[in-house]
Amino acid sequence: MAAPMELSCWGGDWGLPSLHPESLTVMAYAKFSGAPLTVNTISNSWKAPREDIPVLISENNVISRPAKILSFLRKQKYNADYELSAKQGADTLAYIALLEEKLLPALLHTFWIDAENYCSVTKPWFASRIAFPLNLYLPGKMSREALNRILLTKGGPPLYSLTEVEAQIYRDAKECLNLLSKRLGTSQFFFGDTPTTLDAFVFGFLAPVYKVCFPRVQLQEHLKQLPNLCRFCDDILTCYFRLSVSGHSPAGQDTADANLQKLTQLVNKESNLIEKMDDNLRKSPQHPPRKLTMLKLAAGGEEGSLLNRLSP
Amino acid sequence: MSPLSTAAEPWPENAALYQQLKEEQILLSDNASSLAVQAFLQMCNLPIRVVCRANAEYMSPSGKLPFIHVGNQVVSELGPIVQFVKAKGHSLSDGLDEVQKAEMKAYMELVNNILLTAELYLQWCDDVTVEEITHPRYGSPYPWPLNRILAYQKQWEVRRKMKAIGWAGKTLDQVLEEVDQCCQALSQRLGTQPYFFNKQPTELDALVFGHLFTILTTQLITDELSEKVKNYSNLPAFCRRIEQQFFEGHAKDSSSPAARAAHRSLLR
Repeated sequence: MAAPMELSCWGGDWGLPSLHPESLTVMAYAKFSGAPLTVNTISNSWKAPREDIPVLISENNVISRPAKILSFLRKQKYNADYELSAKQGADTLAYIALLEEKLLPALLHTFWIDAENYCSVTKPWFASRIAFPLNLYLPGKMSREALNRILLTKGGPPLYSLTEVEAQIYRDAKECLNLLSKRLGTSQFFFGDTPTTLDAFVFGFLAPVYKVCFPRVQLQEHLKQLPNLCRFCDDILTCYFRLSVSGHSPAGQDTADANLQKLTQLVNKESNLIEKMDDNLRKSPQHPPRKLTMLKLAAGGEEGSLLNRLSP
Repeated sequence: MSPLSTAAEPWPENAALYQQLKEEQILLSDNASSLAVQAFLQMCNLPIRVVCRANAEYMSPSGKLPFIHVGNQVVSELGPIVQFVKAKGHSLSDGLDEVQKAEMKAYMELVNNILLTAELYLQWCDDVTVEEITHPRYGSPYPWPLNRILAYQKQWEVRRKMKAIGWAGKTLDQVLEEVDQCCQALSQRLGTQPYFFNKQPTELDALVFGHLFTILTTQLITDELSEKVKNYSNLPAFCRRIEQQFFEGHAKDSSSPAARAAHRSLLR
């Protein structure tokens, strides 16, 4: 039995279990491979880790990047790529590199750099989940880091202004979405009928673009023109994240099931008692009170209340 | 630079590829990129001559090497060069279908993302290599103190970029691990085929050749990087095959990689 594993990550909204692409990737992979993770969403407390989200804590190991978390899960025998051939494993690595190079800059831009989106959606949402006074500082820091990353990797000459860089990264992202759509075609997941690491990464990157309601949404509009990618996201959300979406955690559902079972057993017990008592009444109708009192003394409180209801 | 005028002119005879000085100045990553472009142009059968200049980096329109000077246009880096050559009517990837083109682009991103970044990390973030190889080579055409200033400036730039993409915190072992995974992926994708797609080489083959050949033939402080590539036997065989097919004809030309391989020790 593996040690219990806890994942700390950003929470979700708009029907998603998490808004953060990397957190979403790890949660999706855990669902695909059946790894039992307890998910702690970051709340307003001081104790929650805030750098390098998502973070997996298992026994004494603290593991922080999605790639490392996924390889840790694989070592614990939760492997969603079990049936892939060597070539498909290589393709997975290549497509993940494509996502990070072409799609991630535009995603970061939509969330953190586009002024309207950032001020009206991203900043309030993240600030509401971080404790005061860090909520005044951290969203700004994340925004600056995103801008830094985009400018350093994409912003060299001959692109000299931010608008040119933005145009280029959105062009790249739309081309990347087209390529993904062509690769997915009509199949349910990228490699046949079972979801794998690549599906987790693609879902992690696409779902925030697809679901979060921003004022400026050119990437989302482009994504909606590719129906197979939209269907891909919806399928994974309904099949694997249905419980989280409706608000119950898997642990809560288990206790609800256990309670239901206990209730069913009680009802059965009571109906058995009613049958027994009917039999007794039919067999010896002239001494009902004594029989009933004997039963009352012998049984517990439940029968007592039952007898009270039955007694004339 | 309208597409119409680009397509109208045929490829001139005096097209030139500019890179840094081969023996004293050029570094691992620039050498790899330059070789990739040379291989691509050879595969398209377009003649190009290699010109070495100390200030090639400053002449380039994007600051990155190599760049080609064709007619009255200057284009730098493999991606734009491939598109430029395509506008002139030469393309290696026309025979691929849509899914294969997507795969090719994905693998090119993989090579750029991992191999190129690992080469940059090794050159500029590994202190021993920086002291002994990079700084002396990078500033060699310039007098003191300019050579140290330029080298430190470039190092600061590269380290900033590494920090932004999250590679600054990696140790050398982790970087070599990533290179190993990338080589494994390339080796599995190549399998027993002569090239990555069908029987014809594409720009992906040129890019992979450029990086792997450079890694295999460049002598650094340790041999760990080239050992990672040699672990997968079809990769060195792939490099040898491309070298024989596309570069042997220029054996007399001292800029051929075959001649360079013979002078391995000069890279120190």
